[in-house]
Amino acid sequence: MNDTVNLMNISSSPHTRDKWTTPYIMRMVVLSLLPATIVGIVVHGWQAFGIVALAVVSAVASEWVFNKICHKPDTIWDGSAVVTGLLLALSLGPKTPLYLPVIGSVFAIVVCKGCFGGLGKNFINPALAARCFLLISFANAMTIKPTLDAVASATPVGALKAYQVVDITKMFLGTADGVIGSSILALLAGGLLLWSLDIIHGQICFSVLIGFTLLIGLFGGQGFDPGFLLAHLCGGGVVMGAFFMATDYVTSPVSRLGQFIYGCLIGILGGIFRLWGNTADSFSYAIIIGNVCTPLIDTYIVQKPLAYRKIGKTRRVKREPFRIPKPVIALTLIAALAGVALSGVYSVTKDPIEKQELAAKAASYQEVCPGAATFEIPEGVEAKIKETENETTRVKEAYAAKDADGNLIGYVVSVTSKGFGGPVTLAVGLTPEGAIRDIAFTELTETAGLGMKAPEPAFSDQFDGKSGTLVLVKGEANGEQEISAISGASVTSTAVVNAVVKGLNFYDTVLKGGK
Amino acid sequence: MKNTFRGGVHPEEHKELSREARLRLFNPKGEMVFPLQQHIGKPAKPLVNKGDKVLVGQRIAEADGMISSHIYSSCSGTVKAIEKRRVLTGDRAECIVIDNDGEFTPAADYSQRDQAENLSVNEIIQRVQDAGVVGLGGAGFPTHVKLRPKTPEAIEYVIANGAECEPYLTCNDQLMRTQAPAIVEGLELVLRLFPNAEGLICIEDNKPEAIHAMELAAGGKTRISVHTMITKYPQGGERSLIQAATGIDFPISKLPADVGCVVQNVGTLYAIQRAVLYHEPLFSQCFTVTGEAVAEPGNFMVRVGTSYAELLAECGGIKPGVQARKALAGGPMMGIAMGSLEVPIQKQNNGLTLLAEDPVEEAEKMMTACLRCGRCTTVCPVGLMPQLMADAAIAGDLERYEKKLYGLECIQCGSCTVACPAKRPLMQTFKQAKAEINARKKREGGGQK
Repeated sequence: MNDTVNLMNISSSPHTRDKWTTPYIMRMVVLSLLPATIVGIVVHGWQAFGIVALAVVSAVASEWVFNKICHKPDTIWDGSAVVTGLLLALSLGPKTPLYLPVIGSVFAIVVCKGCFGGLGKNFINPALAARCFLLISFANAMTIKPTLDAVASATPVGALKAYQVVDITKMFLGTADGVIGSSILALLAGGLLLWSLDIIHGQICFSVLIGFTLLIGLFGGQGFDPGFLLAHLCGGGVVMGAFFMATDYVTSPVSRLGQFIYGCLIGILGGIFRLWGNTADSFSYAIIIGNVCTPLIDTYIVQKPLAYRKIGKTRRVKREPFRIPKPVIALTLIAALAGVALSGVYSVTKDPIEKQELAAKAASYQEVCPGAATFEIPEGVEAKIKETENETTRVKEAYAAKDADGNLIGYVVSVTSKGFGGPVTLAVGLTPEGAIRDIAFTELTETAGLGMKAPEPAFSDQFDGKSGTLVLVKGEANGEQEISAISGASVTSTAVVNAVVKGLNFYDTVLKGGK
Repeated sequence: MKNTFRGGVHPEEHKELSREARLRLFNPKGEMVFPLQQHIGKPAKPLVNKGDKVLVGQRIAEADGMISSHIYSSCSGTVKAIEKRRVLTGDRAECIVIDNDGEFTPAADYSQRDQAENLSVNEIIQRVQDAGVVGLGGAGFPTHVKLRPKTPEAIEYVIANGAECEPYLTCNDQLMRTQAPAIVEGLELVLRLFPNAEGLICIEDNKPEAIHAMELAAGGKTRISVHTMITKYPQGGERSLIQAATGIDFPISKLPADVGCVVQNVGTLYAIQRAVLYHEPLFSQCFTVTGEAVAEPGNFMVRVGTSYAELLAECGGIKPGVQARKALAGGPMMGIAMGSLEVPIQKQNNGLTLLAEDPVEEAEKMMTACLRCGRCTTVCPVGLMPQLMADAAIAGDLERYEKKLYGLECIQCGSCTVACPAKRPLMQTFKQAKAEINARKKREGGGQK
C-alpha cells in the first residue's frame, strides 16, 4: 500500500472542478452560430462558404503562427480563434472578395488579440475590430451590392435610412441582401440558446436591444410603430451585435449593473449612429465604443457583498422563487417574433408597400409608352377585364395613353400571369396600331440568376415591334413570331410570353378601333 | 417549498458509493494517536505520563483556557509515548500515543441515562464542556464557547446543520437516519439554553430518508421544524446555511450569534445528547470512507485516534485494479489532501475520500487565461466578484482588493474555483492575498505601538 500512498497528489482545496471548460464555451458559441452560418451559405452560395472557411482557417493558422514566432504556448485548442474567424466571416457581405476575410482574420488575431497578450487580454472584440478595419481600409470592396430586385433597391438598412419600405420577412429569414450572418431567425435561435445555457449574460443582450429600441422609438420619427422598430432591430447587425459581439466576455464588464450600463450604452449609441449617422454599418462602432468603456466600468461599478447591500437586517425565510425556465422563454420569444415578422408586420407595412407598387407601376407605364402625359381608361374596358378575372393569365388594367395635346399615342395593358416563384406582372406598351413598343415588369419574384433574367434586354427586347401571336422556342429564335426562352427558366419565359400574348389579344378584341 | 441561498455550485455528488452503508462501530487493533490539538484554540495539556494505564473515556489531556477542549482516550491500554507525530496536515504535532490492548474497557457505564429535566443552563453547558465536544462539521470550534453567547435571549434560531453539502460524504445522512430521536433531543437541550429561539433542522433534498426520519422524530415538538434545502454547495457552510434558512446576510466581522443564530452540526447535537444524558465524552464520531478507489466504502462510528490506514484496510483497502491518485481528509470541497494515511483521525474529521482520478491535475492541463465570463461572480455565495479580486491580487493592488472589492469577506468555500471554466486557481490566490493583507496589518499595527 505504501507505493500507492506515494502517488497521492497534494493540492489546496477544492479538489474538484466543474465540467465547464474554455473549449466547451467556445464550442457552444460556434454551435449557436451554425444556424446563421448554414442559412447564410444556403442563401448566398459558394462564395459565402469560401469566406467562412477562409476566415476560420486563417484565424486559427495566424494564432498558431503568432504563438510559434513569439515562443508562446500553443493555444489554438481553446477554440477562441475559431469563434473570432466565424464571427468575422458572418459580418462580411457574401460578395466580399476572398482576400478580405484572410486579411481580417490575421488583423483580428495578431493585432487585436496576440499583441495585447492573447485570450482574455484584448480590449476590443477582435472580430469587430477586424470588420471595422476592413470597412475603413477597403470601403469599396466591403460595400454590400444589392442583387437585382424588383422592389427594394438597396440593403434593408440602406433602404430604411432612405425612408423606404423593407421586407421584414426577408430579413427575418436571411434572404434579404446583407451580410452572410443576417438571418435574424437563425441568430436569435443561437443567441437565445446561449442565453438559456447561461453562457451569455441576459443583462447585456437585452439591455442593448432595449436601449436601441427606446432610442429609435423616441427619436426615429415614427414613434413605437412595431413594424418600424422591428425593421430597425432586424437590420444592420443589431441582433448579431447584441447576442454575439457585445456579450463577448473579455470586452464586457463583469458586474450585473456594469453589464446593464454597458448594454444600454451600446444600444443608445447604435441608435444615434443609425438615425443621424451616415453609414449602415454603424452598430459595430457602437459596440467598439462600449468595449473601450469596459475597463472604466469595471473599475468603478463593483457589486458589494450581500451583507453590505441591504440597509438594516431582513428577517425572512428565503425561498427559491419560481422561475420560468430560460429555454421556455427563449422558444416563446422566437415563436412570437417569427409570428410577428411573418404576419403582423406585413399588415403594418402593407400601405406603404402598396404606395410603392403604385409608384413603380406609374414609372413602368411611362417607360413602355414614352411621351404619354395622361392615361385614360377607355370605355367598356373595365367590364371586359372583369370577365377574365378568374383566369390564370389575365388583364389587370388597360389604359389609353395620350400626349399633352390629347392625341392618342398608344395603349398600356397590364397583364399578370403565374410564374415559377409567384405572379409575373408586366406592362405592355402598344402603338395605336397594336405593335409592341416595349414591355416592363412591375412584379417579378423568380429564381435569381434564372427567371430573374427576364427584364434583361436579351430577353425582353425580343418583344419590341412584334404583334399578333407569339411562339416560345428553346434556343435560337428564327421566325418572325418566335421568342427565345431564357435557358433554365422555361416556366418564367412561358408566363411572360403568355402575358404578352394576352395583352395583344386584349388589344385585338377590345381596344382596337377604340377611342 | 425548499430553501436556498444565493449562488453556490453543484459538484457531482457521488454519494451513491456509500449512502446505503449502515453506520457501524469500528474497533481498531493498532496503536492510537491523540494529537493535543484537535480543535480551534490552544492545544490541550496532557494529564497522563508514559506507562500510565488508561480506559475508554478517560480524560488524557485537559483544556488549556477557555477556547480549548479536553481530549479523551477512545481505547484502553498503556500510554506508550508523548511525542511529535505526523498529523493529517503533514505537520508534526505533539501527540499522546496509546498502546491499544484491544479490550476497550470503559471508564464508566455510558448506557445509563441520566435525568436532565432539572438541569440548569450552566449545568448543561458544563457537561458539554467536560465531554470535550467540538464542532464536528469540520472546523472543530469548542462547542461550549458557541453555547455561551453574550446575550442568550437574543438568539432567535438554533440551526441543526444536516445539509452535508460536501460531495461523497454520507455519514451525517446515516446518522440522521439511525439516530434521529437522539439528534432531536440534542437540539432540545440546546434550545433550553436559548429561551427565545426556534429550532430549524436543515437537510438537503438529496437525503429524503434522513428528512423523513427527522420529521418523524421532530413531530409534535412546537419549537422544532424540519426544512428541506435545495442541494447545493456550500449549503452546510455556517453563513450560507443561515442565509438559506433565515435570509440573514452578515459581514465576516460578525459571528452568527451577533445576528441571533447558533448553528450546530447534527453530529455535534448527537455528541451533546450523549454528553448531557449519558455523561459520555466525545471519543467517537460518525465517519465516511469512500471514493472510487475504495474497495468497500462505508460509514462508521469511528474512534478518535484510529489510523486512517487501518480504517481503510477495514474497508478492503484500495480497490484492486484502481490506482489511488489522491487521498482527502474530508470531501473534495473542503477536505485536506493527505500525504500519508499513517496519521490519526481527529475529533473534527468526518471522512476519508480516495479518488481514482485527480480532478485538480486534470484541470491544470485545461487551464487557460481568464475569459472574464463572470461565472465566479454568479456562484459566489457572499456576493463578491472573484474575477476582479483575482485581477487586483495578481496586480498587487491590495488596497483595491480590500476596500473596493471587499476581498476579506471571502469565506474560502472554493465555489468560484470549481465553477471557473478557465480552471484558474482563484481561491488559492485569495488565501495568499488575505494572508498578505493580514501580515501587512500586523506589521503596521506593530509599528504604531
